[in-house]
Amino acid sequence: MPGESVHPSYIRVLLTFMRNSLVRDMSFRSNFVIESVASTSWVFMNLGFYLLIFRYTNEIGAGSGWGKYEFFVFLSTTMFINSIIEALFMPNAQEFSELIRTGNLDFALLKPIDTQFLVSCRRCDWSSLANWLVGGSLLVYSLRQLTARAENPLQIHPLAFVLYPFFIVCGVAILYSLMISLSASSVWLGRNQTLYNFWFYITNFSRYPMEIYGGTYGTPLRAVFTFVIPVLIVVNVPARWMAWPFDVARSGPLSLFAVAATLASLMFSRWVFLRALESYRSASS
Amino acid sequence: MLATRCLSRPPRLGLQVGRTVGAGGSVERMPIIEIERLCKSYQVYQKKEGLWASVRGLFRREYRQVEAVRGIDLTVEQGEFVAFLGPNGAGKTTTLKLLSGVIHPTSGTARVMGHVPWKRENAYRRRFALVMGQKNQLWWDLPAQESFRLHQQIYRIPTSSFHQTLDELCQLLDVKNLLNQPVRELSLGERMKMELIAALLHAPEVLFLDEPTIGLDVVAQHNIQHFLRTYQQTKQITILLTSHYMKDVLALCKRLVIIAQGQICYDGSLTGIIDRFSTDKVVTLLFGGDRLPSQWEPLGRVLEVVGPKVKLRVERQRVAQVLASLLADYSIEDVSVEDPPLEEVIADAFNQVSRTSVPGAPLDRIVPGTRV
Repeated sequence: MPGESVHPSYIRVLLTFMRNSLVRDMSFRSNFVIESVASTSWVFMNLGFYLLIFRYTNEIGAGSGWGKYEFFVFLSTTMFINSIIEALFMPNAQEFSELIRTGNLDFALLKPIDTQFLVSCRRCDWSSLANWLVGGSLLVYSLRQLTARAENPLQIHPLAFVLYPFFIVCGVAILYSLMISLSASSVWLGRNQTLYNFWFYITNFSRYPMEIYGGTYGTPLRAVFTFVIPVLIVVNVPARWMAWPFDVARSGPLSLFAVAATLASLMFSRWVFLRALESYRSASS
Repeated sequence: MLATRCLSRPPRLGLQVGRTVGAGGSVERMPIIEIERLCKSYQVYQKKEGLWASVRGLFRREYRQVEAVRGIDLTVEQGEFVAFLGPNGAGKTTTLKLLSGVIHPTSGTARVMGHVPWKRENAYRRRFALVMGQKNQLWWDLPAQESFRLHQQIYRIPTSSFHQTLDELCQLLDVKNLLNQPVRELSLGERMKMELIAALLHAPEVLFLDEPTIGLDVVAQHNIQHFLRTYQQTKQITILLTSHYMKDVLALCKRLVIIAQGQICYDGSLTGIIDRFSTDKVVTLLFGGDRLPSQWEPLGRVLEVVGPKVKLRVERQRVAQVLASLLADYSIEDVSVEDPPLEEVIADAFNQVSRTSVPGAPLDRIVPGTRV
């Protein structure tokens, strides 16, 4: 077929991947249902935990801007981002390490399609998307509470409906970059289970508002996880645009930084990925 | 003696396969695969036995340099079906992986259809395929049909030609009724057929086959061989095959390349390899009377004695002399002189190579278990 278009339709390939994953998940019905129930239960347990905390306090730190319902907007944003990551990228990153270790990456390298795309989007864990329903319900409920409260009700700016999903995408991109870079390091490390666990440890920091990191220990942590490994901005930036009153002066600088950090993260992960492919040795068959 | 053979470039007979002759009588065809001084070496971590050694390994690691491919030169013409033979760890699979662009070489050059494989250009990747008998590229839990559809998207195969090719391949391999069965529920032979279909859907011009019949029963092996022969003859594609089954080689290839210790030791025809590496002939005698020779040693090595039928392995240059002496002294009803089976000749060739130390490459540099 020389001379023909050498680029596949990426969107069609992606849809076929998602379709195949769904067909596969559906063929193990019980497993699919159990996984959906388990991940949704975990989300509800988390929610219960924070409800407990808010029995004892009205906000996280005086004047931080994170009262009960603002925090629940934050929490629903975490749910959205995590469920996208868990559905689209987590199974692929896990499998990528295995592909490197077992030498099965060979087949991905043979295909006339961008290898990073192929490796990153092959599988989709549909059961993780069940959390979208919980996150969506929580977001709607919290926003209703915020907008309907008697004292200082929240007025949602129309632009917030654009900025919120945009920065969710940025957050997903940052976490994806981190995840794929760590997986790609399997090429040099042989096995990177520890680094993969490390991913869970550091993303734990992204789950809380950045205002809680203060004082002698908190400030350096906040600096590192904002400017070096920018996981703190993943949830914080979109959540601010939705939960707080629209204030460009307050959220703008961090948002601009989030865009720059997203681009830098994606470029860095692309660089790591390509370097990893060059060093790939392929296990014996 | 053999070391000299290994280092010098052997005569090639492959050029005679699949060539076309132009109006002026000259050979017009361009080589489709050109490899020059291709080398691939890598480091392997040496783990010593025991707990203390493991703890020490945390701080100071020892690596061994494995030279998997050491300066291969090879040219393959369009339409050739070439067998790549060699003992485990010889560098066959590494060479195929280099030609597929899966790994980068340490040095040297290779061009396949004008492309440098390890640049991994889409234009190249659309024109070849690699099938590995020990690896599976189909979605394990889904019917093969779903993986084929994915291939259609990735290779951008137009729907009409996709269905036409799929029908042709399914008919040739007789798997039409298995398309909707999950891959995990297929037998090994059926799975290999599906792997072949997946590899051929985009009509590759070059096909690399790495042990495609490994682990298959005789019938399945035969089916795959038959398919490959028919397909190659019809489409005139170029195929490089590695296999440990000589039946594959006998059935499919006219040209053989033997690789050992990362170097090409033989490149030529099937008959040529017997002339080169086999020093013996197998002589079968059917004695007429009851009288048989009392001592066989001066004649040759006895392989089998069944009643009056005796099978001897005799040095090639002594065959005429041995036969003359036997015919003169005994009543013999039937005689046949044959080459030894190809498996034995190849095994002899591998043994000769292994026994011969090649300068600059002590044998312990490539150890058993380091399959490449």
